[in-house]
Amino acid sequence: MSSSPLHDMLFGFPSSQEFLDEEWEYGSEEDDTDMLDCQAPDDTTSPWILQSSPKLYPSDDELLLTNSIGQSVATNETKDKSSASGQTTRNHDGVIDRIESILTDVVDALIEDRDQLSITLRTRSGTSGRKFDAANGIVPTASAFKTRKITFPGNTPQEAWRFTVLVRILEFVHSALIENVIITKRDIYYRHPDLFVKQSVVDRYVDDLACTLGVPRASLHVTAAAKGLVAGNFSIRRLDGTIVNGLSDREGLLVPKLMDDDVLNLSEVKWILIIEKEATFRSVLSSLHWPDIGSFGLVLTAKGYPDLASRTFLRRVVGTSPHIPLCGLVDYDPDGIAIMSTYKHGSYALAHENVTIGGTSTGERPLNLPQLRWLGVKSDQIHQNRDMDCGTCKDTNIGTQASMKLTARDRKKARQMLSWQIFAEQGPESEWRHELQLMLMLNVKAEIQILEERPGGTSGWLKEQLGEVGSQHGFEMNNKSVSPATGVSWL
Amino acid sequence: MVCKRASTSSLGYVYRALIYLQSKQYLTLHTIDDVHPTDIFSLAPTKTAILSASGSSSIHIHSTTAQDFPLQQTIPGAHKLGIHHLVTNNEGNKAASSGFEGEAKIWGVNQDSGEWGELGSLKGEYKGTEIWAIALSADGSYLASTSIDGKISVWDLNAEGMPKIREYETKGSYGMSVDLSADGRFTASGHESGSIYIFDNDSGRMSHSLASLIKPVRAVSFSPASKLLAAAGDARVIALYDVLSGEQVANLSGHGAWILSLDWSDTGEYLLSGSYDSKAKIWSVDTRSCVATHSHGDKPLWAAKWLPKTTRSEMFALGGGSKAISFYREAAG
Repeated sequence: MSSSPLHDMLFGFPSSQEFLDEEWEYGSEEDDTDMLDCQAPDDTTSPWILQSSPKLYPSDDELLLTNSIGQSVATNETKDKSSASGQTTRNHDGVIDRIESILTDVVDALIEDRDQLSITLRTRSGTSGRKFDAANGIVPTASAFKTRKITFPGNTPQEAWRFTVLVRILEFVHSALIENVIITKRDIYYRHPDLFVKQSVVDRYVDDLACTLGVPRASLHVTAAAKGLVAGNFSIRRLDGTIVNGLSDREGLLVPKLMDDDVLNLSEVKWILIIEKEATFRSVLSSLHWPDIGSFGLVLTAKGYPDLASRTFLRRVVGTSPHIPLCGLVDYDPDGIAIMSTYKHGSYALAHENVTIGGTSTGERPLNLPQLRWLGVKSDQIHQNRDMDCGTCKDTNIGTQASMKLTARDRKKARQMLSWQIFAEQGPESEWRHELQLMLMLNVKAEIQILEERPGGTSGWLKEQLGEVGSQHGFEMNNKSVSPATGVSWL
Repeated sequence: MVCKRASTSSLGYVYRALIYLQSKQYLTLHTIDDVHPTDIFSLAPTKTAILSASGSSSIHIHSTTAQDFPLQQTIPGAHKLGIHHLVTNNEGNKAASSGFEGEAKIWGVNQDSGEWGELGSLKGEYKGTEIWAIALSADGSYLASTSIDGKISVWDLNAEGMPKIREYETKGSYGMSVDLSADGRFTASGHESGSIYIFDNDSGRMSHSLASLIKPVRAVSFSPASKLLAAAGDARVIALYDVLSGEQVANLSGHGAWILSLDWSDTGEYLLSGSYDSKAKIWSVDTRSCVATHSHGDKPLWAAKWLPKTTRSEMFALGGGSKAISFYREAAG
């Protein structure tokens, strides 16, 4: 199968600027929602499905059916590695069938000369109704869906546009499935930028479509272009014998896509560090401390809110070696904490992926990383800066130039986040809640760069911190050697 | 009574003795530990009790008349996302709180049971007008509030539905602090930009835009006679302004960190201030000098309040990041 050149093309592609702009940001996600929903009637309370509209939600029976078909399909398609990790291909034919039935229905409606064409989507609703599953430390979708009927010609030009967008995306997805190639969301956008207007429109409809069909996005053969970078003392041995070395490029590697058969070697890795910002990632990699730091760890940045590719990679790394401590370094602002929350508990916007990827039947876990520890930047680290500066710098109280006041958007975001279940009073993240409250009280935020003001800079600080993490880890390892079983069990 | 902390040098003794001449002595009377599971953001005393609020959702009420300051009542779930401001009226039968969700709640004492209960709630009508800082008038009839967009509102708590009766526009800088004068005539607000305004509640107009502190103003407080306004914040000085003329009359400097709270003693003789570096200072308004400094742990001191004067000696309470409330009283003689 010609799968690996394909993947090289998709994931070995040099990172170009346009990829950086891509992907979902919480803020813009919300704004898009506003924009797209502004014309839509409030149909959350009336999940009608008219006879003319194709039936999009599989009932439980149908799901079972799909699964059994899927498994038989999977045996036929074991050679097919072109979709995510094996199990995501199992729905392949089922998905094609369902997309075809949607399109057929539209065509039928045209032939029968019906007044209106319609497609009913199950969309991911706002984050308000979403529940945090404390037991599993993740945000599942459960009852948080709402349905939306998109009709043509519809009452407004927007509705007609939405319908067109949806049909066009269905068409692209369908052809990708039929031809068995993987396309990126960016591809889709560029095939018809005039229609889609902006990338986030494509992102949203593709995710809604996946949500409607009840499959992970990868089953639609649509991926996000990898935007994460990773570096460190790890290696991946591919089935064809090629070896990817995490230290081979001083600039870091694009987050590789791991196949089931790839062997991940993490024996030298004492810790894993997630960095919010690419700039910090690059400054760490180019610092004098990097040879020291890099030979003991794995550093990853997804350049802001993590994409599924980065989360999937991390999940695999953690799955391979669950005992390795996992730390996050993010800005001291609401987005920083939200980004950390996305890594740790999953995305609020893409909650359907949290549960669908891996599924429960395969024994694989969803994409959350419950063991993620917050390394920084925290309020007391900003204050340590202050203490050091006190002798010379009489002017400021918290940090120096790098601390800033919150914007109105920051305050709004922080307030919204406090109402998330994760941040509830008795919730799992009382420290995060406290830090968000302090941010609002002090009206202060700071970027990771504030650590540069310390002697030794960010990487010096990291070396110190990660040294501690590593040694704690060593200690735990000794303890764990008593019962080696715990070392491999899921946390 | 003498300060128990030994000074290490003889020069220190001389210095201490000199300070002693003009300083006042306050002794720790009692500390209630772990009042809240997280930072105490606000304290509001009555004649017989002290109400406290924190990043948790409940308000605690401790008696200040019994020896060991026992817990009298807890109001659970007052503000789910945490509470940042809590104020009481002079009579001590009405209180108001504001929470991170952006609403204010009004509380009253039931005359029969003596328990606190909710009387109503206030909120901004649209986005950006969420309530932040609040202040109650001395008689508890009016509440003033600030919002992120810099608007200052005054609400009539005695009227049906607690309507907003005044709304003052400012230049749009986030309103971090607010106070109502005891006579109810004036509203003052302190802003993120450093601006400080005084509004005349009778005319509904701004009466003064005071000399700016340039940096965020985290506390404003009218003197009990409504003649002076004290304002402080990240500039680390306390500025005193004449309310009628709007002139700045004094600058009290000495804090080494952001000043988070200000409170006048009942007589107007002393000002109590609390700062980010956990220091509380007491200032003589006459001599414009600091007469006592106390440390309250090593965490931000969010709240420093005098207790209303009773027959006993002068007392104040401190609360903040240490999660404890400490009570101090003036040393006798």
